[in-house]
Amino acid sequence: MLFQLVLSGIAQGSIYALVALGMTILFRATTIVNFGHGEFFMLGAFLVYVLLHVVGLPFLPAALLAIVLMFLLGMGLERGLFRPMGESAPHISLAMMTVAFSFLFRGIARLFWGREVYPMPSVFSYPPIEVAGLIVTSQDLIIAGTTLLLVLLFFVFFRYTRLGRLAQATSQTARGASLVGINVPLVHGGMWGTAAAIGAIAGILVAPITLLYPDMGGQILIRSFAAMTLGGFGHLGGAVVGGLLMGVMEQLAGGYISTALIDIFAFLVIIVVLLVKPSGLFGRREAAHV
Amino acid sequence: MKLWKRLALGFALATMIAAPAIADETQGVTDDTIKIGIIGPMTGSAAIFGKSVFGLEALYKQANDNGGINGRKIELVREDSACDPSRGIAAAKKLMAQDKVFMIHGAACSGVALAMKPEIVKDGIPYVIMSAASAAISTPAERNIFHPVPTTVTVANTMVDFVMSRGDITKVAVVAHSDEWGKSNRDPAVARLKEEYGLDPIVDLTLERGQTDATPQVLQVRESGAQAVIGMLYPAEMAIFLRDSFKYGVRPPTFGNMAISLNDARDRVGNPEAASNLFAFSPFAHATDSEEMKEWAALINKYYPDERVENFSYLGMGGTVAVIEALKRAGRDLTRQSFIDAMNDIKDFDTGILSANLTFSPEDHVGLRGGAMSRLGEGGILVLKTWAE
Repeated sequence: MLFQLVLSGIAQGSIYALVALGMTILFRATTIVNFGHGEFFMLGAFLVYVLLHVVGLPFLPAALLAIVLMFLLGMGLERGLFRPMGESAPHISLAMMTVAFSFLFRGIARLFWGREVYPMPSVFSYPPIEVAGLIVTSQDLIIAGTTLLLVLLFFVFFRYTRLGRLAQATSQTARGASLVGINVPLVHGGMWGTAAAIGAIAGILVAPITLLYPDMGGQILIRSFAAMTLGGFGHLGGAVVGGLLMGVMEQLAGGYISTALIDIFAFLVIIVVLLVKPSGLFGRREAAHV
Repeated sequence: MKLWKRLALGFALATMIAAPAIADETQGVTDDTIKIGIIGPMTGSAAIFGKSVFGLEALYKQANDNGGINGRKIELVREDSACDPSRGIAAAKKLMAQDKVFMIHGAACSGVALAMKPEIVKDGIPYVIMSAASAAISTPAERNIFHPVPTTVTVANTMVDFVMSRGDITKVAVVAHSDEWGKSNRDPAVARLKEEYGLDPIVDLTLERGQTDATPQVLQVRESGAQAVIGMLYPAEMAIFLRDSFKYGVRPPTFGNMAISLNDARDRVGNPEAASNLFAFSPFAHATDSEEMKEWAALINKYYPDERVENFSYLGMGGTVAVIEALKRAGRDLTRQSFIDAMNDIKDFDTGILSANLTFSPEDHVGLRGGAMSRLGEGGILVLKTWAE
């Protein structure tokens, strides 16, 4: 049972990691904690559902189109909601704006799909794979693999590409970046689009497991937030490690202590991390030198 | 002051005090309408239970099309509780104070019904439960609250008796939500197992609402060697449990309560084989895919053509038939008290849809004390009284 719980924990933790990754990328580039990221996750999944069942597209074109549309939505949110607030808007105001659009999108989704929970087709539907008595599904492997791929991709992006360094520069000092000729709004818009697209990827991969309903994003968000806190805000690898650790610890606690602990585990993690090491496992204390 | 002036003043004061009470008795009733407030979870994670509302409303609309009740048409006012107790309280207050309805018919979520209960008892407005099952809603009996659906105690007893009817069951696992709804379903089942059969659950597990993985629960069921699983779970979580049970090759028969629809569970899991060992409590006289039930489905679709009729759509209809009967019996001189008296006079009443007849009395407002279990067979849904069938 131990190894199965660990394996299941890694699979479950990959879901948290994938969602946490999208939030971390946006935080890294804009310092905004996006409490509406769960709705990117939900909308991406519903978009694919509509493109499959209403428009009649095959799965792959539907998924790609949904990701592109969500990228544009993310850019649109930055342009329409956050850019007008200005560079000097307090962080709490920016966070509240993310809460506001979260409720807005959830309400709109409920108008259309409020009473139904829908099954979502898997990317691949192979039977579960059994190795040495341990069971894992193809969906679990795809989610874990995608998470790993994305974290490597964005590690390279932020560390080795000019655009990635521009994004980090704008997050550290938007005015300074603007003074040296960086198009700060364009960078921010791109990062919002990227975060929305990653949220959509997560939704498309995870919805076959969570099932599809308007409140699905909120359930995942708190656990992913706990993963970010555990791994260290703004640290890409930390988000992934935090997510995986969250998943494994949840499963072990549920399997060996009490299944009643699973639901509150995320909150326990947040409290403990903030008390013991507020910067998380991989985060660094920020120091400003004047 | 002269005596006649004192008498007149006293009469005026008495009238002023009594007038609101008299008005309350006929609030929501005009010469040609009876206003009924409907509360259900039309949005939110439990919105699937809001389908019950359409069953209720279809019957009231049919009554209107058939000439109304004693010359009055039913006017419906619907509010959304979203299965949220605070929203339910706000909805009930709005219906009573602003819309001034004659009665409230609603609540699919027991948490909402229990939250609304103090305000409704205080106001004295007649309240008929739509499909919420918690026994605490109607026990002990309140003068103005009627419960025409099986309570959690009835459902739990039926489920446990069914499981144990096979004769060779000694290991029963229980998986439930830890919220008020889960406890009100789990506790009577565990008590029934103990008191009637001398058994404790072999494992007693929690699967919370919103959880997307049931691996720890399924593995513990596997390790325990359970021969049957009693699952007091909402539909999404039951689907997660069935899916993960199938994934790990854990296949003991699983028993769901009134919140579970067999077809809905099969569709959510997306794998008919994973749902093939699922039994669900059935309060209905006939299988939900039978010809008899198709008539009820046709009635709903007559007024709501786009509504996908499901198991939950029928849950409140038996109670609505009883309400319409009571309104008829109360006559033209309709007041809250005359309606309550008419409901209390309902004895051994065949609604045409429920598995047992409804009986109310002033001391007992739990109208239904029976049920059956159902499962998906090769030809459709089978309604079973014992597992041996």
